[in-house]
Amino acid sequence: MQSKLSDIELIEQTLAGNQAAYADLVKRHQRFVFTLAMRFAKRREDAEEIAQDCFIKAYRSLASFQKQSKFSTWLYSIVYTTAMTFLRKKRVDTDSIDDENTYIQVESQSSAYDVNNAENKSRSFYLNQAIEQLLPDDAVIITMFYKGEQSLEEIGQALGMEANTVKVKLFRARQRLKEKLERNLKHEAKELI
Amino acid sequence: MNDIEEQLWNYIDGTCTADEQQTISALIAQDEAYRVKYQELLLLNKDFETIELDEPPMAFTYNVMEGIRAEHARQPLKAAPNKRIIIGISIFFLVTLVCLLVYTLANINLPAADIKVTVPVKLKVPELSNYMTKPVVQAFFFIDVILGLFLFDGYLRNKKFAKQA
Repeated sequence: MQSKLSDIELIEQTLAGNQAAYADLVKRHQRFVFTLAMRFAKRREDAEEIAQDCFIKAYRSLASFQKQSKFSTWLYSIVYTTAMTFLRKKRVDTDSIDDENTYIQVESQSSAYDVNNAENKSRSFYLNQAIEQLLPDDAVIITMFYKGEQSLEEIGQALGMEANTVKVKLFRARQRLKEKLERNLKHEAKELI
Repeated sequence: MNDIEEQLWNYIDGTCTADEQQTISALIAQDEAYRVKYQELLLLNKDFETIELDEPPMAFTYNVMEGIRAEHARQPLKAAPNKRIIIGISIFFLVTLVCLLVYTLANINLPAADIKVTVPVKLKVPELSNYMTKPVVQAFFFIDVILGLFLFDGYLRNKKFAKQA
């Protein structure tokens, strides 16, 4: 059963030595943290490692958490740095992180898979597929904005950017997502015809 | 076109000023291009809100807590050295220093200054050279070596944990 206590109350309990309180915090945020990790790593095994590492790091430096910002914002900044370190360790160079061609492979694989599952697809399926095809930065900003209950300022805080930069990046990310969604839907329509 | 989209997204997100909001509201009401685009973006915005989150494995919380427990188990070696050892080392050095001080004071000879130190109580100072036998010196060096190894071990452990972290 998940506790109804606020994040700050759970943090205080954790700092007082109650590990179960931290387990509640993990349960509360694990889905979103795991999703963000997936946006960066693209593989479940890697995402699991990043997300776990991130919660352990957060526990280690919980005492240094300034309660002026949201715990989630602080946690997401840890996800970002942990994911970046992980990707660097995996020797994925910055070109390949930022290179959209890297994700063309994912795109074509998904398309092949789609043909066999046409009847199960909905608009939401195509949307999630399109998100997977985005660059990590775009996917993370969109996910944080729509699912993380984070303002532009908070996203900026977590990603180490100005709020205005986030605003511009969000606009571009939405445009790219729209294009990919339209392309996927068009492709699907062709397959059905 | 981008300008219209950008304005409309700001309007939908509520990130524009009150004046801009009023202007865009009026444009949506009057301009067909704005109205069509606004409806399209509104629909898209609704879609974006339905993005699904990925589900972590069942044992995720358990694995995190296990990781934390494992780290806790390692921590005393790294951050909290045994207080008894520190007290023992302190006592050893303190006793050594006191012995040396007593021995020096007892054997001090200042003829040039012609200072006569009269000790009110007749203090019997033990002859330390009687105690400084070969086994005692060996034991002293043995303890020093043990302490040195202990410190070196601590240093290596710290280095190892820092690498793992």
